[in-house]
Order: sequence, then C-alpha cells, then structure tokens
Amino acid sequence: MKQILMGNEAIALGLIHADVDVVSGYPGTPSSEILTNYQKLKDKLNLTAYAEWATNEKVGYEVAYANAMSGKNSCATMKQVGLNVASDALMSSAYIGNIGAMLLISADDPGFYSSQTEQDSRTFAKFARIPVLDPASPQEAYDFVKLGVEISRKFESPFMLRPVMRVGHARGICEVEENHEFNPPKANFIKNTNRWAGVPPGPRSVQGGELLNKVEQIRDYNLQTFISPKIAELKGAKTLCISSGVASTYVREAIEENKLDAEVLKLDMPYPLPYHKLNELCKSYEQVIIFEEPYPCIEEQLNAPNLLGKFSGHVHQIHEFSKEKVIESFKKARLFNDSNPYQASKFNAHSIASRPPTLCPGCPHRDVFYAMTRTFRSKNSIYVSDIGCYTLGLNQNAIDSFLCMGASVSMASGFSLAHPEKTVISTIGDSTFLHSGVTGLINAIYQKHKFILLIMDNSIAAMTGRQTTPERSNPENIDIKRIVEGCGITCHEYVYKPDMNKTLDFMKELKEIYKTSDMPIVAVIREFCVLDKERSNKLLPHKLVSVDSDKCVECDTCISKYKCPPMSYGENHKVEIDPFLCAGCAACIDGLCPTDAFVLADLGEEK
Amino acid sequence: MRYQILITGFGGQGAVFLVKLLSIASSLKGYNCIGTENHGMSQRGGSVSCGIKIGDFYSPNIDENSADLIIALEKDEALRYIHFLNQKDGVLVVNSDDKFDKIKQKHIKFDAFAKAKNGDFDIGGLNVYMLGVAMKNVENFPFSFDEIARSLEIFNPKVSSKNTQILRLAMEEK
Repeated sequence: MKQILMGNEAIALGLIHADVDVVSGYPGTPSSEILTNYQKLKDKLNLTAYAEWATNEKVGYEVAYANAMSGKNSCATMKQVGLNVASDALMSSAYIGNIGAMLLISADDPGFYSSQTEQDSRTFAKFARIPVLDPASPQEAYDFVKLGVEISRKFESPFMLRPVMRVGHARGICEVEENHEFNPPKANFIKNTNRWAGVPPGPRSVQGGELLNKVEQIRDYNLQTFISPKIAELKGAKTLCISSGVASTYVREAIEENKLDAEVLKLDMPYPLPYHKLNELCKSYEQVIIFEEPYPCIEEQLNAPNLLGKFSGHVHQIHEFSKEKVIESFKKARLFNDSNPYQASKFNAHSIASRPPTLCPGCPHRDVFYAMTRTFRSKNSIYVSDIGCYTLGLNQNAIDSFLCMGASVSMASGFSLAHPEKTVISTIGDSTFLHSGVTGLINAIYQKHKFILLIMDNSIAAMTGRQTTPERSNPENIDIKRIVEGCGITCHEYVYKPDMNKTLDFMKELKEIYKTSDMPIVAVIREFCVLDKERSNKLLPHKLVSVDSDKCVECDTCISKYKCPPMSYGENHKVEIDPFLCAGCAACIDGLCPTDAFVLADLGEEK
Repeated sequence: MRYQILITGFGGQGAVFLVKLLSIASSLKGYNCIGTENHGMSQRGGSVSCGIKIGDFYSPNIDENSADLIIALEKDEALRYIHFLNQKDGVLVVNSDDKFDKIKQKHIKFDAFAKAKNGDFDIGGLNVYMLGVAMKNVENFPFSFDEIARSLEIFNPKVSSKNTQILRLAMEEK
C-alpha cells in the first residue's frame, strides 16, 4: 500500500509495524515528529502502547531500555546532541545487551539547520560498538526500523537508526504494510544478576569480550545481508563511490545527470564494516571516493591505497552535501573537467532584507528579554541562556553565551564566581529547566552562588513543535515554583501580561531583591506560546497596533532593541507595522516607545 | 517526467503546506516525488525555503541552477534563492509590487499582498493564491486545476472549498 509520508511519519509507522510498543524520548529537531506521530497513530488505531516524552534523553533511553531487557520491543528517540545526554546509558547498555529489541533513533543535522553541532551519530554507534543503519529516504527509514528490530533481537544488541534532517523532514511516496496486526511481545524480565547488574571487573569484562564477538558476527551479517548483493550488482566503472544514507543520493544523481564513468556502492549499515572485503573490492577500481556526511565514519574503517575522501582533501568536511559539492570532488579527482553545472551566481544581496531566526510576533519572551536588558544593563551584567526558543534572544542582545541543554544554570554559577562584581542573569525555558537545569540549581543553592535565574515558562516545548512538558501534562503534581521552593528558597512568580510597564516593574523588583541576597534569585514567569492556540487565543488581546507617524522620531528603540518582526522603517523613514505579521498582543503600546508612537490601529480601515 | 519546484517565503506563510499539497497531486498522477521541509528554527518570520522534486530523483534537495519553477511568497525571498532557478529555462513566480529588482531570469510578478489588503481573499490563502498564479502563467506546470482541487480536497476537506475558490480567483485573474 502506497502512502505519502514525511520521513518521521514513516519511522513512526515502521515502529508500529515492527511491533514496538514502548517509545520514549525528548523532543529535538529534526527528530521530534517521530514520537508525536507514533502517539497519533496509536490513538487512531486504538493500540495499547506507551509513548510519552521523557524529562530528558537519558531518562527516555533508560525507560525504553529496561523494557528491552524485559523482552519487549522498545525505542528511544532524540536528536544527535540529545544522544550526548543519553550516552552514559548507551555505552553500558551496549555491553549488557537486551532480550527484546532496543532501538535508538538519533537524528543528525548535517548543515546545522537547528543544532549547535554537526556531530555524526554513526561514529557514536562505532564508539559504543552497536550496529547502525543509515537510511537515504522516507521509504528506507520505514524499512530500516523493521529491519532494526530484527537485528536488535537477533544479536541482543541495542541498534541505532541514524536518519539525517533530509530524511526525517523529506516527504515522499512509501510502500508500507497494509493491515498490520499489532502484536508486541510480552514482558518477561528474568532475573540474572551477572548479566543485568554485572559489576566490574568480573561480569563486565566478560561482557566486554562478548561484545567484541557480537561485533564480529554483525560485521559478517552486514556483508552477507547488505553488502554482497550490492557488490554483485556493480557493473565495473573507472571510479567507485562508496557512500551511505542521503549522501549517496547526491552522488547517484550527479553521476547519472552528467553521465560519468563511476558507480555507487551504498552501505546501508556503515558500522560495523567488513573492511577486509571492502579493501579488496577497492583494488579492482582505478580510484575510490568515499562520500559521507558529516564525519568520516566509513573512511576511518577502510585503508585501501587508492581511497580518496575527506582525509585526502577530495571531499568537503563540514556542512551537508549538495550535487555541487559532489561535482567539486569529481573535479579534484579528475573525473569531471567542465564547469560545475550546479552553480549559479547569487543575487547581489545588498537590497535583500536579512531574516535571522527570530521570536514570533507576540511572543512573551521578547518582552521579558527587553525588560531584562533595560533593567540590568549590558555593561554591568552577563546574560547566560540555554537551548530552546529563548536562544532567539540573541537578536535582542539578551544573550552573551549558551552552551547546551540545561547549562545556563551551572554556567551562571561559573560566571558569578568569575565576575562577582557583575549581575549574572540566566534565562531558561520550562522544558529545559526540567530536562537538566534543575540539577544546576540544586548545586547553586547548595553552594550559595549568587545570580538571577529567570525560568520562562510557556508550558510547552515550543521550538521543536509544541510538545507537552511534564508540568503541562501533570500540573497538579509538577510545578516549577514548588520544585524551586523544595530547594529551600523563595520562587518569585510573575504572570505575564502583554503590557511592557508591568514586565519592567517585575524586573525592577527582582533587582531590589538581588541587592541584599546571598543566594540565587529564582523567578518563574508564567507565559504562553503564541502558536499554542489552546492558551494564546485566550491570553492575546487581539489588538492590532499602528504607528502615529507624527510621534515617531526614528529613535530606533523598537527596531534595534525590541525587534518585533512586523516593525520596520517605511518610505517616510518612520516605523510601520505590517498588519499581516502583527499577532495583536499590543505589548508595545505602553512602556516601549519613548514618544508613545504606538497606538491602537483603527480597524475600520483594515479589513 | 522530471520537474522541480522550490517554494520560498518566510515562516508562517504556508510554504510547507504547498509542498504537502503538491506531493498529494504527484501521487494522484502516479508520479514519484520527494520533497524537503523546514522545521525548528524557522518559525514566524524566519526565511523558509522548501521544495519538491517530481519524477525520478534520489536526493530530496533541489540544487542550484536546477529548479524549473520557484514560487516566491515574498519578493526578498525570491532574490535570496534565485540562484536555485535553472538560469536558462526556469521561471520565477513572485509576489511583489512594482518595486521588484531587475533580474535577467524569466519571471512573473504579481502583487498578491495588495489583493489581500483589498480584501479579495484572506491573507491565510496567500500560498494557494500564488500557486494559482503559477498554474495560470507557467506553461509546463505539471498539474491541472482539477488535479490541484482534488488534492486540496484530500489534504483537508474542511477548508478545501475556500482554498479552491482562492485558486480559481488567481487563475481567472487577467
């Protein structure tokens, strides 16, 4: 049966068709829609299955893995930087293995579309010594999930699926199973302390040896199942291109469209590779070029003398692939001599408006950042922030540094030690605070570090697509204010109003309290996400704003400091508001413009 | 059959909607297709480009100098991605007022913002309107009005009649 699916939808459907009934993970672009779609399918098909967001990736992995230990088919979803958080659990689970299936889906982001790093999860699989499949399309993503469950059960090893952004967010026609009868295996945890609780050095060193054996078996399986049939199909050309995943699609298109004397061997399982066989294969070609993104995972496993790739300088080392880059590599390898057909000169960019990633019109974060920078001036303060929508506060110069999920709190501790003369202000969202900010806060209170922590609680994981957070799902039990109070300090609370004067007043109060404190000052700001219709419709006043051009003196406060997307200079050099972009929060009317030029729009004129 | 369409605009304009719609149209017609979408950092107001490759392709990305058609929902976003257009035969369809920069590539300019401001259609239908402009003006566009109307129906029956009306409005424009 054919369906049009986005890669992450295909993965979710694959999970159901592979009888996986436990899915746990933490949202992160480009992985987030996997769990969301699994939840939708589960509800639509009325299946008994567990699919919930965990507080962070390590927790998600551990919840899923215990099920795999018990014989069930389980899956943990995350993005590549999330795998860093879960890596502690991953490394140990690779030694111990599983009875059921343990699928780790780690979505990579070559090209840094929404990530701090471009790291390659395949090399993490290599580090942990677990098999990894690298799909090139939504169809393969679907197929490989099902195959992965088989592999994981067969070798009793956690298995990694490594889609990249161009798979998860690609949309294509997929052939999928029809009328699958969902029949997940039942749990049956069999106590075996030596295996499941093996302490070092005895049982664990035994498992370490077993793991090496397993890798050899999987290497052989990879050769028999995936590689040998593909070698048999090779026709013989001057150049062999070895590739995997989406990288192979660019290579294939470039060869066909330009009729080059080259062919592609696509490795579905880039680790563990049968390197003897592949090195041997390379000998029958004049040259072999390895194309992979983003890291040299295959290249590091092979060592034939005629290999070209990232190490030899023939293939680029950073950013995602394009056919243009493939052709550049072919030119360096003297396989192609004409001008690059995938190059065109860009339009002279001087007149194009720049659109850096920015907070949405009407987003309460913008007001909080503005009030924060107005109250705590930049030269006397250090602003630390975190990963999430509030990262976009960079535009408002409200962030001096951010590192990784949850780090803003402990970094604020660090900066307060380095610069006791400055006010250190940390900003973090609700989901991120519960993910890993809370441990930093416990540390800061226990060691009495003095800084201000603003928890910007919009009750949703907004940037990744508005997934529910623990507090949102379970407000009776989990409340950020009470968590902070549980650490023995006051939690100040401000319920956001789209009125700049009120937000400024709250910041001033914090400033007063800070003066006499010897502890972290923590505040939770109750906000909403403008894209979260359930809440924002009730909380936005839906008042359109326009500019009284007689009053506007082009002071630039709104354009350079507040930076709401509908605001721009019009032809008469006065600020104008684009009615199509304005969200109707009207927060700019009071307290923002020094000459009060923002006024309510006369809706009679606007349609 | 090989046809590549790039949609450009800014976050919130419904570029992804068009990719989904055109993928439905492709499947109805029995064409293969693969497309790519933006998620994450580009929410409201950020630059967005996404595309669909109809026919026999492997890679999800449209390369520079390769698109047969660019539908630009905003004029700056047209210029930002113009190098993705096939410089010889490709056509740009752009939502712009008279002040569009001089370019050497084939292009069709239409001020859909002015139409929306005038109340001819709801601004939320800007993407469908520009699709209609493209369908009317681009000779080798791979789908007919009926095929797109049918795809709108499959995509979301609740709003399909409103969208079909907007599409028709654009195609009837002189």
